[in-house]
Amino acid sequence: MATAVPPPSRKQILSLFRSFFRSSRLFTDYNIREYRKCRTIDEFRHNKTLTNPSSVPAAFADGNYQLQVAKRQALVYHISRRKSKASWRLSIDWCLFMLLGFYDGLYIESEYCGLG
Amino acid sequence: MASKIIASTVRRSLSPKLLPLIRPLSTAAAAAAAPAEPYDSSAGISMKGVKISGRPLYLDMQATSPVDPRVLDAMLPYFVSQYGNPHSRTHLYGWESDEAVEAARAQVASLINASPKEIVFTSGATECNNISVKGVMHFYKEKKKHVITTQTEHKCVLDSCRHLQQEGFDVTYLPVKSDGLIDLNDLRNSIRSDTGLVSVMAVNNEIGVIQPMEEIGEICKEFGVPFHTDAAQALGKIPVDVNKWNVSLMSLSGHKVYGPKGVGALYMRRRPRIRVEPQMNGGGQERGIRSGTVPTPLVVGMGAACEIAMKEMEYDGKRAVKLKDRLLNGIRDRLDGVVVNGSTERRYAGNLNLSFAYVEGESLLMGLKEVAVSSGSACTSASLEPSYVLRALGVDEDMAHTSIRFGIGRFTTEEEIDKAIELTVNQVEKLREMSPLYEMVKEGIDIKSIQWSQH
Repeated sequence: MATAVPPPSRKQILSLFRSFFRSSRLFTDYNIREYRKCRTIDEFRHNKTLTNPSSVPAAFADGNYQLQVAKRQALVYHISRRKSKASWRLSIDWCLFMLLGFYDGLYIESEYCGLG
Repeated sequence: MASKIIASTVRRSLSPKLLPLIRPLSTAAAAAAAPAEPYDSSAGISMKGVKISGRPLYLDMQATSPVDPRVLDAMLPYFVSQYGNPHSRTHLYGWESDEAVEAARAQVASLINASPKEIVFTSGATECNNISVKGVMHFYKEKKKHVITTQTEHKCVLDSCRHLQQEGFDVTYLPVKSDGLIDLNDLRNSIRSDTGLVSVMAVNNEIGVIQPMEEIGEICKEFGVPFHTDAAQALGKIPVDVNKWNVSLMSLSGHKVYGPKGVGALYMRRRPRIRVEPQMNGGGQERGIRSGTVPTPLVVGMGAACEIAMKEMEYDGKRAVKLKDRLLNGIRDRLDGVVVNGSTERRYAGNLNLSFAYVEGESLLMGLKEVAVSSGSACTSASLEPSYVLRALGVDEDMAHTSIRFGIGRFTTEEEIDKAIELTVNQVEKLREMSPLYEMVKEGIDIKSIQWSQH
């Protein structure tokens, strides 16, 4: 049963990009944070050139899935972070985590704590 | 609900010492929390007599690589809720674990263009190398008595060959040219009628040189000799195709492709079938070749890592080349007497092995504590002798001692490279300033022509 998936609107794509960027800033590990930021920009830039109409919703769905992965892992990294900072960079402050991830934080807590 | 989250985060961050009192740790966690943390966030880290202001930059990707968050996400359910033994055939836990293992097998196979039936999961590339070298020769020991390998192989292959030599087999260690590649005529001439195995690693872990795999595969096919390769460093970095390379056995490692440590995979060709004698006997898991419970979370992690590597290989490759050029040019602009060990053309960009002339190796490494690099390979860094790989290349003893291996990976950033350049250049300049040998070279005296008198 194949239903035609409507292509995502520009607003939806921009909102996905913004959420991705926000979630990349939540990572406590400097390397992962920077990688996620650059990769998000490059990935979206590359996907802008997609011409096949069926590949755009597929890429959007994949993007949504990756966003959920990133949010979950940002929480895991935050919980298991070590106390020391990178010798030449500051790692993310907990307030920033709260401010940026506030509403998403609700969702993440229930993902893992509410097993079953 | 929101206020609970705020309260818990405030509690956790502001009063770390009060937490054990508020929620007493269980006995298991208390025992695990007992070892005193060597970390003190304000005063930096002090460990083994070295004091640094925080965690070093990680530029040692050939030793191991950090686990990608996407891989960790794939692994966690198999630690937390789906923890069954994949060999349990009677309940859901076993069925779902088995399904996950088979899916991971397909993911690993698709990265090397093999069939899932040809993949056997092991505990790492070392075990795969042992099974390949010792297992194959023991199976065919009636007719085949000869093994060919190179001088720059990984320690586990060389040690397995030494073990075979003690048992009475003949082993030929092919020499390498000064750029790290083997001479194909040497290989052709050393194949005998009783050669049972040729083992050449695809990408060297110390110098990053890529051997001519297709040509070696053709020679082995011509003579009908099984070809084994240790592709632990090559997987996910260069395109690996078992049919193009004509390999019969391939060792793969999980923790070099941003997966978990403790898992590896062995590719064994089915047509023509290669047989091995198992090194781990037991319940006949993994088609009898490697008995023992397959560690589902680790295997799932390796599968996820391989899938991600397939998607990201091109992007990572381009980035690695860009960062390596930045690093090499940054160092060469400010220092002279910098030599790249190994071929510059046939090389994986993420592995840069440099030797600095007129500098002592140990002191250079001791000064580079803010950057996590290695000299030689992790396996041999415990001993004081210079790496055997560099010795096989014909590098002078003093240059071999000062070699540093920079490993660039998926998560390395340009800022880290710039900082590494700065730290390395400062340290080398400081050491050269103190060095009387360098002063003599600056004045124009040729060091090699000096007759050092004995007292």
